[in-house]
Amino acid sequence: MNDKRVRALLPIVLAIAGGILIFNLIAFAFGEAPASALRLAFEGTWGTPYGLGQVLFKATPLLFTGLAFEVALRAGLFNIGAEGQLALASLVGGLVASKLPASLPMPIALPIVLATAAAVGALVAFIPAILRARRGVHEIITAIMVNRIVDAILPWTFTTVLGSNSLRTADIAPGAALPRLDRVVPSFAGSAASFAFPLAVVSVFVGMALLERSRLGREIRWVGFRAEACRAEGIDVERRLLLAMLLSGAIAALAVSSTALGYKGYYELGLGAGAGWSGIAVAMLGRGKAVGIVLAAIFLGTLEQAGLAVNARVPKEAMDVLEATLIVLVAVASRVAAKGSRAATNEGPEPEPPRDKPAPTPASEEARS
Amino acid sequence: MRGPVMKIEDIAVRYGDCWSIRSATITLEPGVIHAILGENGAGKSTLLKAAAGFAPRVAGTVRIEDGRGFGAQDAAGDPKPQAWTNAIGMVHQHFMLVSAFTALENLVLGSEPTGSFGRLDLAKARREAEALMETTGLRVNLDARTSDLAVGERQRLEILRVLYRGARAILLDEPTAVLSPLEAEELYTTLGALAEGGATIAVVTHRMDEVLRFAGHVTIMRRGRTVLSRPITADERDHPKRLEDELTRAIMGGEPPPEASPPALAEDAEVALSIEDLVLVDAAGKRVLDGLCLAVKKGEIVGIAGIEGNGQRELVRAVAGLEPGVAGSIVLGGARLPAVRSTEDLRKRRRAIAVVHEDRHADGLMLDATVGDNLVLGELGQIDGPAAEAALIKRRIDRFGVNPPDAARRAGELSGGNQQKVVVGRALDRIEASPERALVVLGQPTRGVDVGAAATIHGAIVAAAEKGLAVLVVSADLGELRRLAHRILVLHRGRIVTELPPTSSDDVIGRAMLGMEDA
Repeated sequence: MNDKRVRALLPIVLAIAGGILIFNLIAFAFGEAPASALRLAFEGTWGTPYGLGQVLFKATPLLFTGLAFEVALRAGLFNIGAEGQLALASLVGGLVASKLPASLPMPIALPIVLATAAAVGALVAFIPAILRARRGVHEIITAIMVNRIVDAILPWTFTTVLGSNSLRTADIAPGAALPRLDRVVPSFAGSAASFAFPLAVVSVFVGMALLERSRLGREIRWVGFRAEACRAEGIDVERRLLLAMLLSGAIAALAVSSTALGYKGYYELGLGAGAGWSGIAVAMLGRGKAVGIVLAAIFLGTLEQAGLAVNARVPKEAMDVLEATLIVLVAVASRVAAKGSRAATNEGPEPEPPRDKPAPTPASEEARS
Repeated sequence: MRGPVMKIEDIAVRYGDCWSIRSATITLEPGVIHAILGENGAGKSTLLKAAAGFAPRVAGTVRIEDGRGFGAQDAAGDPKPQAWTNAIGMVHQHFMLVSAFTALENLVLGSEPTGSFGRLDLAKARREAEALMETTGLRVNLDARTSDLAVGERQRLEILRVLYRGARAILLDEPTAVLSPLEAEELYTTLGALAEGGATIAVVTHRMDEVLRFAGHVTIMRRGRTVLSRPITADERDHPKRLEDELTRAIMGGEPPPEASPPALAEDAEVALSIEDLVLVDAAGKRVLDGLCLAVKKGEIVGIAGIEGNGQRELVRAVAGLEPGVAGSIVLGGARLPAVRSTEDLRKRRRAIAVVHEDRHADGLMLDATVGDNLVLGELGQIDGPAAEAALIKRRIDRFGVNPPDAARRAGELSGGNQQKVVVGRALDRIEASPERALVVLGQPTRGVDVGAAATIHGAIVAAAEKGLAVLVVSADLGELRRLAHRILVLHRGRIVTELPPTSSDDVIGRAMLGMEDA
């Protein structure tokens, strides 16, 4: 068991080592002494309490979107629409939060805003979900299209419906705002980390535990394993698919807690953009474990923050290249590790059976006599 | 074309922590059919793969000696000589054909004759293929789409493909598991002819009667070891019973289990299931079920025989409630079953009917889920808490002897026989606990399952009938039907054409399966 865990962690370690190497090369290419840029990146992230707070802040939305992607993936669905789900949910959530009376206390205001955002996220996810469950239309295609529709709707809403030139909502009611973490950890002062971070971590652990143990969670996973067998045994496959996708949308939408509610105090166009995409990487790197998702989110958060920290000396774009390269590295490394463990349990070099879902887990091969 | 002599000496093969072969020694010589027998998971398939050079050996040598002078030798870990790859062809249990290709395209796949600039020369391929079919007597319609070919034809295509590549040794992994008895006989005739022509032939099988009738040499594997490997003399074939006993004991490592027999059936038992005029038209407009009628009494086991693809799968699915387009009536316990419109309807039907689908990988199991999850699939709503669930899983594992008895293991890691125990165990144990229980329908309950697991499953089927359930068994294994059933119905082109007593001979049943009603 222990050996297995080491084997699962190995690719992450290798990828980070590779990342440091590439980072040095990039820094060198921009005329920096490699070690000094690295030190700068470290000080901007884990080296100081402020940097650490910023890392947690950057990681928070990724925790939600990573969990969201994981939930759908377990049902065999590829929720590539978290970006649009989060964006529209953030707009509506921000609007509702700004309209709430200022006197409304937090225990009432915050749940209202989060529930609204979650509902909107689920609603956006409903389109690909229902088309997939009822008609078999592939959710990737519909979700990408929905993303584009949301992309078009948002600026139009700001300029036309809201009549706002600044492309932002009004300030949210104080009751809807999540307090900063520096209230309890004073040394985080100045960083944007808010109570959304512990909320996100708890969500990941609770969500993964429910997926593992609750009836609905298990049936969602079973449908992802083999929908035909589930249908034959009387599980409502359509409804489980629908539920997984709606949950995924709702969870992705909760990322608004760390941006509009925990940081800016309003929603503006583009706030939180990119979290939906990074969530895919988080879920893939997390390898289906709550701890893995948390670590992966913090890892990607660190990269984002490190990019900002060295921005003055190494262009941000170079850091984007680094981030993308690292994700590819880890993905490749984990495939290698997965292959190693698959060869350990299975029989021959037969080709994998065709699967109608992208398989992050080692694809099943039929064990034969 | 004289085949090579393949000497496999004391090899060991390991996959991860699991020894697939601990010690195996076998010499495959050209001229006879070598049969390899053994329980699921005994290492038979792995032995073939080791001979073909696919399996990761950790010890031992495989020597290929050829009359024409090349002697390829390979100790564990050495790279496999090219001549080896060319000389030895393997036909896998699950066909490796591209179903969208024509037979000809599949035949030449991987060694296509090409013209200038790598252009595929199908005309040349056709000439070569036809010459090959002429010399071997194996016939396949080269222009048919592979997906339209019958199972037997696809198998012939696989063998042709191997020969086309120039193989003189052919290793077949459970080739008859998917064939009807007549097709199987045809296959062995072909293999026998190839062997006589000098090819080296090895066949992994579960069917004892095939070994007794066709094999010239038999090897038994048990738990990763070759426990018996010797020629079969013509003399012995005249007294098959004694040989069969010897082989069965070697397979089981002890005395064989008692054979199952159907329970006594009361004269006045009332009819539990009555199917009338069942019609199902598939997407291509073919009437896959064409006015099928049958009745099963309480406590009765009725067997359905038929050549693959005559409506067996659809019959099971229609009774299960998974074919929404089916017309006709299914009356269970005096009441006509309503059409299944929702999952709730399906669950209701499942409380009265237990179903085992013929393809356990497609419709029965979640290979990537645990054994425990598979054993309670679809039942979470009725189970009262994790403790009750664990107890239920343990009971089912114990009752059906699922091996290893580990609920947390991935179902895909079990051998085929144990996977089937999981599927059958779930269905039977659940229905026996249901107050509305009435019927059990099983499609190919012991396909690809070893003697020991089959005995367990047969025992459970008989036990279900003894409890008063009506049982419908669809099987391609006539021996199984003859042992288990009170009556055998023969399915042909979507309807029941004959009813026969279980004492009928293979020949009589086989002719009825072909639609010769006056047999």
